[in-house]
Amino acid sequence: MVQVKALLAKPWIWSFVGAFLVWIAAVAFTRGHGGGGMIIAALSLAVFMVIVGIGQMFVITLGPGNVDLSLPANIGLASAVAMKVMDGNDSMVAIGLLAALACGFAIGAANYLLIWALRIPPIIATLSAAFIIQSIDISYGRGLQIKPPPGFADFANLRYFGIPVLAMLAVLLAIAAGIVLNRTVYGRSVLAIGQNLRAARLAGVKVQRTSFLTYALAGTLGGIDGALLAAYFRGANVDIGNEYLLASIAVVVIGGTSVAGGKANVPGVWGAALFLVLLLTMLNTFGVSVGIRLVLTGLIIVGVITAAGGPKAER
Amino acid sequence: MKKIFALSALAVLLASGTALADTSGKKIAFSNNYAGNSWRQSMLKSYDAVAKKAVADKVVAAADVFTTADKEVPTQAAQVQNLILQGYDAIVINSASPDALNGAIKQACDAGIVVVSFDGIVTEPCAYRVVVDYEKMGKEEVEQMAKFQPKGGNLLEIRGLAGTSIDDAIHKGITEAVAAHPEFKIVGSVTGDWDQTTAQKAVATILPSLPPIVGIVDQGGDGYGAAQAFAAAGKPRPTIIMGNRQDELQWWKEQKEKDGYQTWSGSIAPGVSTLAFWVAQLVLDGHKDIPHDLIVPYLSFTQDNFEAALPDIPKGGVASHEYTQADALAAIKDNMK
Repeated sequence: MVQVKALLAKPWIWSFVGAFLVWIAAVAFTRGHGGGGMIIAALSLAVFMVIVGIGQMFVITLGPGNVDLSLPANIGLASAVAMKVMDGNDSMVAIGLLAALACGFAIGAANYLLIWALRIPPIIATLSAAFIIQSIDISYGRGLQIKPPPGFADFANLRYFGIPVLAMLAVLLAIAAGIVLNRTVYGRSVLAIGQNLRAARLAGVKVQRTSFLTYALAGTLGGIDGALLAAYFRGANVDIGNEYLLASIAVVVIGGTSVAGGKANVPGVWGAALFLVLLLTMLNTFGVSVGIRLVLTGLIIVGVITAAGGPKAER
Repeated sequence: MKKIFALSALAVLLASGTALADTSGKKIAFSNNYAGNSWRQSMLKSYDAVAKKAVADKVVAAADVFTTADKEVPTQAAQVQNLILQGYDAIVINSASPDALNGAIKQACDAGIVVVSFDGIVTEPCAYRVVVDYEKMGKEEVEQMAKFQPKGGNLLEIRGLAGTSIDDAIHKGITEAVAAHPEFKIVGSVTGDWDQTTAQKAVATILPSLPPIVGIVDQGGDGYGAAQAFAAAGKPRPTIIMGNRQDELQWWKEQKEKDGYQTWSGSIAPGVSTLAFWVAQLVLDGHKDIPHDLIVPYLSFTQDNFEAALPDIPKGGVASHEYTQADALAAIKDNMK
């Protein structure tokens, strides 16, 4: 009983509860048909939200005002860069992935440069960066769907024991992110800055270096996400990352990370990503119209955030 | 009687085939609100080719293209107002909204500017609209499906961008045709936004809950994504109606070579932008009798002719058709009958 209580006190548990409930609702609607398939599909699609969500989580944890709005454009450009470098050639996959990583890192670094050197608030800096990146992408990719090499595309669909390999890797990434956040100087610095910037600076935390690394990390994760998305969806395009503006922030918030910064929650990102995909699954299964689907999505997200944020009010 | 005169005048023009001098001093602007997908890129490319040639041939003085970065209405409205001030004689527009730009369009008309909308049309009566008969396209999808799946069965429908006139029209056509073909039943409907990625995601989420599917009726740009979603879930491949995209036709070709897979492909040709250009030029030329609502056929491919068209479509692009002035006159004539 005590254990259950302790579990319920964890802010991330609500996202998993939410995911479970919408899954039950969808399975009840189909009378048990296709429940397993829904989970596999959810795992496959949640991966991409988890990867950018972890990057966004680090940025948001830096404290009020910190957010990376350039992620969708970043993903779009990185997907095009990766596919163009690979050029349908399996032997170029590693180089293409590196190119996507480098592209994402450069975007993250450029974001921080705008914030630090020009003293632009992060929201404005990353949003305007997004416009520039998108324009580069349009002239670079010319709006064409560039196909991934067959081996890379197969890898994106690979499953062991019925579980998508990408999902397993994303779980490893989440574990690594948890270790970095809680067990390294860098991770503790991010949390310290988010809790109180002034106190962190006075305590000797290297604020600028930590912030730079955080934006660069988010950018890099966006880059890798772009390459993987292009593989999974068989082609890079400008709009491939559009969904991840709202999704990357939603998984962070629903997952129990504090929007005010200083409090991060890695498992919650996974729970929230599964929740969002299963929510879409449920609404698609119910066959509701687009308008109702959007309204319900909004209401349910508000509901979950309220439920997850309720007990925190007393702090 | 007037119509006959107009037709014969058009016929004379058609026969002479030469550019009239009347519009050689006129300037036509193209207001476009988005360039981020293959369809729009192809649209711009076709337009550019035809318009540049028209300028070189001194048919018009200028044919400039203005693209705004986002899909936002206010940006495009401001852009149209700028074009009015810059003194263009005609504006060809692919609009972000059917009605939200009507104010700006009315201002342009009042300033004596000819406005021709296509694809994303505007409802303002003073503007011209070049539209594809989407309802008929939706109907034909189901009729083609009936050929490939004579026994009937369950269908999945993939819808386009919600709230657009195009999505409504195609959906209406599909719904009506399914009512006339009781052997088919639409058992699921998802939103694909004419986008491969969105469609694949949406189909992947609904697929586990669906009974066996024999066919997919959709709106173009979503067929390849649907095929990928079925493959990823390990479900048998249904008959998927295609939308003229290169990757869709390429996939169709691979399947056909493998086991004689059959389907049909139809969509609006991005080159319809060039038709809009010629309509603007002809109106400037004094053809005031051109109907304000022009319906043009959609571009379709069948089992027999899609492979021939495939090499001409740029990799990752979409099949197009560029109109000449004569084509435009013929298309207009079809609407005056």
